[in-house]
Amino acid sequence: MDEKEIGIYENVLEYISLELSQILKKIPDTYKSNVEEIRLRNNAPLSIYIKGSDFFITEEGIPTKNKDKARLVNGKEIIKTFQLISNYSLYAFEEEIRNGFITLKGGHRVGIGGKVLYGNNGIETIKNISSLNIRIAREKIGVSDGVIKYIVAFPRTIHNTLIISPPQCGKTTILRDIIRNLSNGLPIFGGAGLKVGVIDERSEIAGMYNGIPQHDIGIRTDVLDGCNKRDGTTMLLRAMSPEVIAMDEIGSISDVEAIHESLKAGVKVIATVHGNTLEDILSRRSLSILIKDKIFKRYIFLDNSKGVGTVKDIIEGDSFTSIKK
Amino acid sequence: MGLIKIVGGLLIILSTSLIGFCYGNRYSKRMNNLIYMEQCLKILETEIVYGAVPLPEALSNVYKKGNKKVSFVFEDIKNHLLEDKTGDIYQSFKSVAGTLNEKLDFTKEDVEIFLSLGRVLGSSDRQDQEKNFKLILNQIAILEKEAKLERDKNEKMYKNLGILAGIAIVIILL
Repeated sequence: MDEKEIGIYENVLEYISLELSQILKKIPDTYKSNVEEIRLRNNAPLSIYIKGSDFFITEEGIPTKNKDKARLVNGKEIIKTFQLISNYSLYAFEEEIRNGFITLKGGHRVGIGGKVLYGNNGIETIKNISSLNIRIAREKIGVSDGVIKYIVAFPRTIHNTLIISPPQCGKTTILRDIIRNLSNGLPIFGGAGLKVGVIDERSEIAGMYNGIPQHDIGIRTDVLDGCNKRDGTTMLLRAMSPEVIAMDEIGSISDVEAIHESLKAGVKVIATVHGNTLEDILSRRSLSILIKDKIFKRYIFLDNSKGVGTVKDIIEGDSFTSIKK
Repeated sequence: MGLIKIVGGLLIILSTSLIGFCYGNRYSKRMNNLIYMEQCLKILETEIVYGAVPLPEALSNVYKKGNKKVSFVFEDIKNHLLEDKTGDIYQSFKSVAGTLNEKLDFTKEDVEIFLSLGRVLGSSDRQDQEKNFKLILNQIAILEKEAKLERDKNEKMYKNLGILAGIAIVIILL
């Protein structure tokens, strides 16, 4: 288990400029297997995030809380890292850079900070890169095994489900694992699976790299990568005949339209949204329509009280009462 | 005795002509290689501007599709790039400068223009890459013209010079 986690970390280091990756290679194994983010900022300490708290890294590769001992990252190293991340090919990542991040092999994501340039069609590119945030993706296979029984309905379908959670609590991780479970087939259904269409607007669910999903999303899953939810729903319904459509981070009016569209076609929806409580969601106009119309039959609330992806509560959508046992 | 003299004389003429031939041949080799290089760069341009293929793969494709006499440098650049890991394309271009000079008979100026591509390759969006390619292909076209003129002027001269020098030496020695 740990060996694999360390392997993931070391693979990510391949994308960091040599000077820095050699330092990062020296940190203790216990840290390696838990690193969530590696942060490079121009003229700021090299730092890593582990379980919500940050550590600075010294020249010798020792994590510390003392910022004076930390190794500073310089602009040249950021540029080199950026070259490695973009595979020396900025032109191949125009679209990704406009969105502010690049997906690496393995589904890891790199957020980019710098000077944003506008052109005729909105954001053109980012130059003078000043910071990079490398988020290490760690898929947790099996995290949804406990919730899946609340979602399924008979015969062989699911309830429309909304996953509500604050950031960094495992929304996407749990959604991905639900997709995997439904798609691979469930014992409750006698092993049968559902056809799942994934609209992966932020390339976070499947982590597509060169057309290959970098995370396990199951055998009956079709992915529209980087597609917006409105267009994606139409495209999936037109030809992919999904039984379930999964999407991440809904919020805008057009997302709500997309959900209505799928419901009209009799397709079930699983979606995630930022928030802490049902009131949070109700206070957002576009989403409150969905809740008042009782479209979702299950609300899953997450927090990180017992680690990332802890299920805080599951609420039934008609009566708004907890059904978590 | 006479036979040895004749054979010796022939050998001298043969070797000097060979030297002249090799010397003169460089001009047509340079011109041909410039033409192949232009083709390779056009393939690379297509890969980048229309295909948006990441650079290592694009370089590999150029090697596969282009004329192998020249396109091997692109494979060399790719290998250097992947092994080096310093994140600097220009360094990888520089690593083949010697090869260009020795194996492809490129002049200093030719190499310089090729290297200038290394400074801009991959560092901007597709539109900008296209502009850079246009610029460099233009420069190479100019070099080709120049190479052709030089070839026409010098190739024959060196070849004749070789043979004539050989004959001259033989006559003096006789």
